Amino acid sequence: MGTRDASDIKKFVRERYAEIARQQTPSCCAPRSEEATTCCSPGAQETSYARRLYSREELESISVNIPSLGCGNPAAVAELKAGEVVLDLGSGGGIDCFLAAQKVGPEGRVIGLDMTAEMIRLARENAEKLSLDNVEFRLGEMEHMPIEASSVDVVISNCVINLSPDKDAVFQEAFRVLKPGGRMCVSDIVTQGELTAEVRESLEQWAACVAGALGERVYLEKIRAAGFVEVSLEGKNPPFCAEATTSGIEAAKGEGIANITVTAYKPK
Amino acid sequence: MKKDLMEILACPLCKGSLELSIEEEDKKEIVRGSLYCSRCSISYPVEDTIPNLLPPELRT
Repeated sequence: MGTRDASDIKKFVRERYAEIARQQTPSCCAPRSEEATTCCSPGAQETSYARRLYSREELESISVNIPSLGCGNPAAVAELKAGEVVLDLGSGGGIDCFLAAQKVGPEGRVIGLDMTAEMIRLARENAEKLSLDNVEFRLGEMEHMPIEASSVDVVISNCVINLSPDKDAVFQEAFRVLKPGGRMCVSDIVTQGELTAEVRESLEQWAACVAGALGERVYLEKIRAAGFVEVSLEGKNPPFCAEATTSGIEAAKGEGIANITVTAYKPK
Repeated sequence: MKKDLMEILACPLCKGSLELSIEEEDKKEIVRGSLYCSRCSISYPVEDTIPNLLPPELRT
């Protein structure tokens, strides 16, 4: 994380995502203004951006306008089953929670955790519009999850863990809250090669999902170090963000980052 | 927040159980109240149905 202080990073990221929630900017990615830049696609591509992550059926099932701030579709890759308890780290506007809620059904439940009050409010409003009763949102930190040990079947997260200044804590907490045999399925940004010092030190680039990203090997090692087994790479793609040619990605010299989706299990 | 989700809630710091106090609730859920951790002596507010379980130094 360079010389940046963890609390500065968190504060900056929170403020940035609060601003996006207030604007209801419909993409992670898509800035309405220079000030609100985050990771990926530009505004004109909002719809096509979401269509690259989610199927038409999935998008049609969520009939409200929700910012899609992710880089994958972990709720689909996780193959959720009816009755499961799902925890979404960095739930944002709630899109992945709502897709998960449909899959786990009335006997299951989905908890969205986000450290930004504005995002939690937005997600709650969306849940009400969708009349989903099995989804709840909590204001909390993924480094300090307010969740009992061994209480969750599946942890999902979509392009959020890169934003944390303490990824070891995030993976350790995910491991703690999972039931034995439970699984984690996360989509995230990883780096390929070195980012420039200028990018690494930029809070803007941290909030844009670039500066905080780890190399793929280190990312997978941290998951294993937290105790997970059967850690597997389910998918790897060039970032959709590449089209956006944000300054960070340019600074990362084009080949700098990739989207990955990883599954991992807590031993039984 | 709904009462039945209490069972998997925990203090974000010590991971101990939380004691719920309800100030206002409707048919579906708790609107206002607090969640108290006796081990840490910290009270986490529930405001407008949303439990704020951020560690105290991150609360705004």
